[in-house]
Amino acid sequence: MSLRRQLTLSLITILILFAVNVGTHFWGSYARNESMIAYRNSVTATQLSTEVEQLLEVQRQQILILATLRETTEDPLGDAELQRAEAAIRTINEKIQRLGRLSHSVTEMDFELLWKKSSLLLKRWLTFYRNYNDPAFQMDMNDPLPFLGVSEKLKELEQRQAFIAAQRAKIIDRTIALTDRITVIAFFSSIFLTAILGYFLVSYTNTSFKSLKRGTERFGSGDLDYRIDDINDSGELGDLADAFNDMSDKLRNAIHDVHKARDIADNANAAKSMFLANVSHELRTPLNAIIGYSEMLHDELGDTHEIDRSQFQQDLDTIIKSGRQLLTLIDDILDLSKVETGNMSLNCETFNPTDLLNEAFEVLAPLLRNNQNTLQTRNLEDLPELHNDPAKFRQIFTNLLSNANKFTESGCITVSARELPDTPGWLEFSVSDTGIGMTSEELSRVFDAFVQADASTSANYGGTGLGLAICRDFCALMGGRIDVESEPGVGSTFTVLLPSDPT
Amino acid sequence: MTTDRPVLLVEDNELNRDMLVRRLKRAGLAVITAGNGQQALDLMHSERPGIVLMDMNLPILDGWAASRRAKEDEDIRHIPIIALTAHATESYRQYALDAGCDDYATKPVDFPGLLTKIKRLTCA
Repeated sequence: MSLRRQLTLSLITILILFAVNVGTHFWGSYARNESMIAYRNSVTATQLSTEVEQLLEVQRQQILILATLRETTEDPLGDAELQRAEAAIRTINEKIQRLGRLSHSVTEMDFELLWKKSSLLLKRWLTFYRNYNDPAFQMDMNDPLPFLGVSEKLKELEQRQAFIAAQRAKIIDRTIALTDRITVIAFFSSIFLTAILGYFLVSYTNTSFKSLKRGTERFGSGDLDYRIDDINDSGELGDLADAFNDMSDKLRNAIHDVHKARDIADNANAAKSMFLANVSHELRTPLNAIIGYSEMLHDELGDTHEIDRSQFQQDLDTIIKSGRQLLTLIDDILDLSKVETGNMSLNCETFNPTDLLNEAFEVLAPLLRNNQNTLQTRNLEDLPELHNDPAKFRQIFTNLLSNANKFTESGCITVSARELPDTPGWLEFSVSDTGIGMTSEELSRVFDAFVQADASTSANYGGTGLGLAICRDFCALMGGRIDVESEPGVGSTFTVLLPSDPT
Repeated sequence: MTTDRPVLLVEDNELNRDMLVRRLKRAGLAVITAGNGQQALDLMHSERPGIVLMDMNLPILDGWAASRRAKEDEDIRHIPIIALTAHATESYRQYALDAGCDDYATKPVDFPGLLTKIKRLTCA
């Protein structure tokens, strides 16, 4: 259950208990009030009954005296006396009526009988008074039965009322005891409930917050894999833990990404430093020859003996050759740098690949003779025209052919081409040699800049190690790719795939 | 300078080798040459050169390995070796010294400086 629901539920329970307390108080006070009124009525009725009884007794004595007087004397009853007697009887009647108003369902029956009997008695008495002066009037006033009936009823009613008053008093006591008990129970229940609620709330939030705190601390101290799993709550704290875990996941991923980006940047930086060190190394090799020979010729010019002119010319040729080699190297480095910074653009023209390959073969011819290699061509006729960059095409195949020749002696270099049957518009060129070949480890690095298959290869075969890197970059720029297969001692085959139109 | 013992120049690049041989000879030094590290070790044993100028990027056995082996060999460890390389960084200088080379010179070679180094190491 969620924290909010628990809190709400407990609060509602406490409010209900409070409402019970207040309700009990009002009910108790109402019930007490009701009982008090009834009690007071009963007490008043009892007093009234006693009063009526006394009045009746007085009236009866008076009538008995009057009845005796009437028989013995002739004195008539005065108007004033008659009026007084009527008033007294009226008073009794009114009091009995008041008694009736005070009676209720329990005593109603008793009152009805009393009322009937008392009415008869009072009427009889009134008749006696009114006819007192009439000598013909005869009435036996000594008969005690009517009076005793009323008196008996009155006593019964009085007893009843007294009993009811006692009952009411008991009910009042009981009500007070009950409301007191309910109030005390509800009060202690609310205290108990509040205490339990407080205890659970504090211990629960304490545990949850502790594990949240622990998680935050662990995460803050660098334990990025830490997760808060010990909060079993589907509510707010569980949500908070989930949000924390979610945040830590995202943060961990972000940090991982940053680390990855940093590693990539570090690697790129290291590669760049390596590249620069390599560039410096490669530039120094021809410069060493240029400076060395120039200084030597300079010194020889200062010598007194005759200059060997043909040797002098040969040394100057070396300087020129090294200078050109340096220029080629600088061009290659610039090309590579342009491609890798995205500044190399394609100058597309429609050209015949066969023509350009034939031009490359012509340049290759003297080099082939030096290494006693032969050139074979296959399927180079009737190739479709390409709409691509012819200068880059030429450079790719010049590089590949010069490489093939460089690493092959008294062997054969084969150049072939074909249109791919599955993907129309694509041409596949391959340059194979029967040279020294490469191991699989060498193959994996063969297209990297400044890497020659073996560190000692450049010493044996020359070259800068930029040619294949440029070939790879140019092929990609032209919308195609270059692959290589090789076996040590058997030879290598470079395969160039190019689209007829890079767009 | 011990002119009776030749300078052994170990260099695989033909142009550089030719140029240095001629300049060293012109400076009045006897020069013998080797094209790789293994050949250099053999000549150090047979010819007992006064000093070795060793290129580091060599075929078959490179300059670092050859220097290390020479310095482990009782017979030839006394022969001073100057490393010659186109690697200009400090770390490569340290690699050469760690391999046992007595001094280090970068290409393009400062020739008078190289002569001074040769003189210092052979007169010691």
